[in-house]
Amino acid sequence: MTTVTESVSGNFSTETPTLDLHEIQATVLRPRPAPYFGTHVLLHIDDARAGREFIRRLAPHIASATNWWNAATAWLEVGITYAGLEALGLPKESLQSFPEAFRVGMAARARQLGDDGVNDPKKWDKPFGTGQVHIGVSAFSDSEDKRRRALAVAREQYEGFSGVTVLAMQDFGAQPGDRNSLGYKDGIDQPAIEGSGVEPLPGQGRPLKAGEFILGYPGEAGIPLPMPQPDILGRNSTYAGFRKYQTRVGAFNRFLRANGRTEEERELVAAKLVGRWRSGAPLTLAPDVDNPALGADPKRNNDFDYANDPHGRQIPFGAHIRRMNPRDTELTRLTDVNLHRLIRRGTTYGPPYDPNALAEADDEVPRGAIFLFISAKAMATIEFLQQEWINDGNFIGAGNERDPIIGRQEEGATFTIPKQPVRRRVRGIETFNVLKGGEYFFVPSMSALKWLADLI
Amino acid sequence: MATETATPTPSSVRPPSAADRIQQLREAYADAPAVGRAALDKVIPELEAAMRLQQRQEPSTAGRIGLRRGKVSELTGIVTLAPGGAKRLRLLLKTLGNNFQGADKVGTLHDMRFVFLDNDTRLLFATAYDGDWDTYIEDFVTKIPDAMDLIFCNLDGWPGINSPKAKDFIAGFQIPADTWYVASPNLTVAETKRLEKIGAAVEEFLDKIQ
Repeated sequence: MTTVTESVSGNFSTETPTLDLHEIQATVLRPRPAPYFGTHVLLHIDDARAGREFIRRLAPHIASATNWWNAATAWLEVGITYAGLEALGLPKESLQSFPEAFRVGMAARARQLGDDGVNDPKKWDKPFGTGQVHIGVSAFSDSEDKRRRALAVAREQYEGFSGVTVLAMQDFGAQPGDRNSLGYKDGIDQPAIEGSGVEPLPGQGRPLKAGEFILGYPGEAGIPLPMPQPDILGRNSTYAGFRKYQTRVGAFNRFLRANGRTEEERELVAAKLVGRWRSGAPLTLAPDVDNPALGADPKRNNDFDYANDPHGRQIPFGAHIRRMNPRDTELTRLTDVNLHRLIRRGTTYGPPYDPNALAEADDEVPRGAIFLFISAKAMATIEFLQQEWINDGNFIGAGNERDPIIGRQEEGATFTIPKQPVRRRVRGIETFNVLKGGEYFFVPSMSALKWLADLI
Repeated sequence: MATETATPTPSSVRPPSAADRIQQLREAYADAPAVGRAALDKVIPELEAAMRLQQRQEPSTAGRIGLRRGKVSELTGIVTLAPGGAKRLRLLLKTLGNNFQGADKVGTLHDMRFVFLDNDTRLLFATAYDGDWDTYIEDFVTKIPDAMDLIFCNLDGWPGINSPKAKDFIAGFQIPADTWYVASPNLTVAETKRLEKIGAAVEEFLDKIQ
């Protein structure tokens, strides 16, 4: 069996890690195992003292990033919303030191996020966007049994404990073959982080400055990002944008049938939308037919740039992976692509993708993905991505076209597949992943958790 | 970080009807010069027709401050120049000539206007650009910090592009336009360039087959 070290992370660097790994939460650096099993729990604090007591009891069970490369274990992660920090009784000057977008919350930033139409916060599942969500606890593991045990540990800290209420729970886990709710292998491309002690994988690019992802370190501009105060709260902490999508599998399959007569044609269209075959093999390295062995090999499945694909004839400019990480693509706007990266912890929930599901009823099956987008400026980066790279096409000269996988589509949306002699324009793109909720979480360091528990 | 400046839009107040508006105009123009009063009388039928056709499409806001029409936004500001700033800036602009390759590189600037006011003590700056300006400010910090500091250091109080206060400084001197007309609100700079290229290619094609 391959360990996570072999399958997801790069080689150990000869340099020792320079980050305070024992302070940073494991989930910030540790990729999902494969396969993975887990649960998200959303909690409400009814009483500040009880909330702090819960944090005190939970803190010793939250995994730090020490040995983050070893994911053959189960671990817990915790995040706190702004409403949660208020409910814990954080002093006013400390609350004021958080960025505006975090303070008002994800629902209130719908305009900046382009969360309108079917993605409008008014249509979200409860309890998202109501201000009720205070704490999120997530259990991650590489087996169902370990997931249950990790969750039991979390539960012991809040069950039968008045003052903290469970609002919602959501189990998650990879589908057979480690696929997501649309049948693709996902989570392949992650930014490498300087000082984390692991060399980048081929194609991962140079390690980015740690301050982009963890507070208290210099970022790409050479200076640390503004931190919430006091320093003990900010340093080694970070933020996570939590976004829950429901996948309209029927709509996606109907679209594929309308645009491909044979299975082969449909799979090619599906690959063009994402930039990878469902196996994970990128079209730059497997342009004509899928290569599952390539898709499964972490040393090869991300080892490419766009130098040999300047016209998008392999991976279309508008393909999901080219939008989310344009690498060396020439963009229409002055852009530093290294400033807009996120650590993605995608967690798939619901029944597996079914290629034969065609009914509208199949769109209503609770199935999809919950993402944790982690960054020291998660709010700004998610807003940038939503505005510029997901719900617009201007940056790649694609007019009004949007990301075909996670974009919120307008009526009559198209997707352009560059091709010789003339491009193919595919019609009938719908919103295949509908946003069902979201929250911004502060992901405290170990010391910050203790500080929060000891307030007043 | 400063709180957002929201344009007050009292939704409870119903917009005045066309007849009300015309009446308001008549009253406002009552003390206008004679040529203005006469002109108003003549254009009233035209105004009424225009108001009937007018789609009540309110402009949205461009990020923190400024108006936005479709995909294009405006930034207008009057700012005090630093001592010696006017001299340096004039010289810098002359050196660049009318060929702003740096602005081309940004890829979103439709135009920029630099107007020196009040004996070179203040600057009127106006530009039309695509999207929200603050979305890309971090990109300017790492990609063109020198260009930004070279120009902006001539403004009184510029904290430096690396400062977290740079955004607040820019928003601070902005004056949101009251009204802004845009002929092609959906044409970004990138889209305009693409259409120019397509137009030229089509003409070339037609030339060949004629």
